[in-house]
Amino acid sequence: MSECTTINESKRPRRGLRFYASIYRKILVQDLKSKMSYRADFVISTIGMIMTNLSGFVTFLILFKNFPSINGWDYHHMLFLYGFSLIALTPVQCFFDNNWNLRFQVQSGDFIKYCFRPINVFFYFMSEVFDVKGLGQLAFGIGTLVYAWVNIGIPVTPWVIVKLVLFLLTASLFMIAIMNAAAATCFWIIGSGYVMVIMFRFKDFAKYPSNIFHGVFRILFTFVIPIAFVAYYPSLAILESDNIPVLTWCAPALGLLFFYLSYKFWMLGVKKYDFTGS
Amino acid sequence: MENAIVMKNVCKEFKILNRHEGLKGSIRDLFSRDYKTIEAVKDVSLEIARGEIIGYLGPNGAGKSTTIKMMTGVLEPTSGEILVNGLVPYKERKKNSEHIGVVFGQRSQLWWSLPLIESFKLLRDIYMVPQKDYEEMLELYRSLVDIEPILHKPVRQMSLGQRTLSDILAAFLHNPPIVFLDEPTIGLDVSMKDKIRSLIAGLNEQKNTTVILTTHDMGDVDALCKRIVIIDEGKKIYDNDIEHLKSYFGSYRTLRMRLADDTWEERLIDESREDVMDVIMKKQKEQKIKDIQLQEISTEEVIKKIYEGGNRS
Repeated sequence: MSECTTINESKRPRRGLRFYASIYRKILVQDLKSKMSYRADFVISTIGMIMTNLSGFVTFLILFKNFPSINGWDYHHMLFLYGFSLIALTPVQCFFDNNWNLRFQVQSGDFIKYCFRPINVFFYFMSEVFDVKGLGQLAFGIGTLVYAWVNIGIPVTPWVIVKLVLFLLTASLFMIAIMNAAAATCFWIIGSGYVMVIMFRFKDFAKYPSNIFHGVFRILFTFVIPIAFVAYYPSLAILESDNIPVLTWCAPALGLLFFYLSYKFWMLGVKKYDFTGS
Repeated sequence: MENAIVMKNVCKEFKILNRHEGLKGSIRDLFSRDYKTIEAVKDVSLEIARGEIIGYLGPNGAGKSTTIKMMTGVLEPTSGEILVNGLVPYKERKKNSEHIGVVFGQRSQLWWSLPLIESFKLLRDIYMVPQKDYEEMLELYRSLVDIEPILHKPVRQMSLGQRTLSDILAAFLHNPPIVFLDEPTIGLDVSMKDKIRSLIAGLNEQKNTTVILTTHDMGDVDALCKRIVIIDEGKKIYDNDIEHLKSYFGSYRTLRMRLADDTWEERLIDESREDVMDVIMKKQKEQKIKDIQLQEISTEEVIKKIYEGGNRS
């Protein structure tokens, strides 16, 4: 009597990368369709993003008209770093923006809905929001990078392009990981909003060469909160021709590791959370 | 009889930090290991057969949601065993999710900005429902309820009733053997309640779906459930047919009388012992009664009665 009958598992295909990619694409298409129908919202948020970037850029220009070089980095190198960081920050903005809503959903109890589907909770949660504003930032970043690139006179070879793509991906993994970890603190603490805001502010330091920081801050931004990996170390792979630091070469592996750890931390939060309240 | 769900001696404890008052207290809390344990579910055993509709009742905070969260694999029981469709839900959450449907506490699980039909298509892909089965299910839906007006409407533009209806349809879409419905009719008007009840009954009948229904609405229970389980303070206190329960709440009524000074006096009357009219007459001799109301006893009161009377199942 106390036996519980098992459902016959018919031979279903496993849910692999291809499955998740196709689900993500379908959600994205639907999401964009519905976003287009709110045209005013779309236009205003795009303008807002451009203005934000523009004001950051102008501040940057003023700074560099007055200090033509910082620690051996001239204007165009700084610009390169700036563009590099903008591109590297695009994936976190576009694909992982729902992290900002995590704490509200967890506190209100709405988060529980992500646990009822036969798919990965992290994927399901992140797939719900695609932030179009990131695209404006991407365009801005590419423009800046190309301008700096031409002025520095870096030769365009297939190897450089491969390095560029690889290290841009690496850099973005670090920022994604930082935001995942910051957002996941909401499973344990109430004031996780501050943690996220602080981490998000830290990204501004990514625009500067980390060798201007000294002592504690250098260690902090390299090994504790790896902001230096969001632009500085990866970009050296392109900017430097021969004496590329070891940390740059380690960056892709470290990025993957850091992303994986942040994902595990996020999922641990889901597992440990009590989901109190009905 | 085939069982869909088996629970054996299931307990769930939560550890809650004992918070202290004031700034000093907050600082102390930061380092404190002073936890207090709350037992949300205490030693509950339960067997639910395939195709049953179970009314799972209990006052707020009784442990209903916690039980359901354990059955759906969101929470891990502190001790005891749970098998849902032969799976241990917490260990195989994703696999378990394939074979259950959940509508939880008035929180829509559909994509807020998408028209319902697009949500359905996404769910079809997520659950890998074959196209033929999917179309058959939509046909069944059409035969049970008028879905055309909501099919192309974004969920955010729907009324509460339409949203609840959509969520229930979405929960049944992959034809799961078990569906959990948490207060599906809360806040709905009478005709919508009726629509939803007959939809649930129809789907249960057509697909032999096991339904676990938590509710505070005795109308839901009357319309759908043969068997009810009541828990209070984490303990199972009643598990039997609804007919059996009716003998409890059928004989109790609440009499409310508005007295001369416009205050309401409430009295619970056991009709097997005293007559409502007698009580009113007696009171009227003492003072003037301006108005009276007679109320059927609420679920909470039945539960209270059963609880006071001990487990008689």
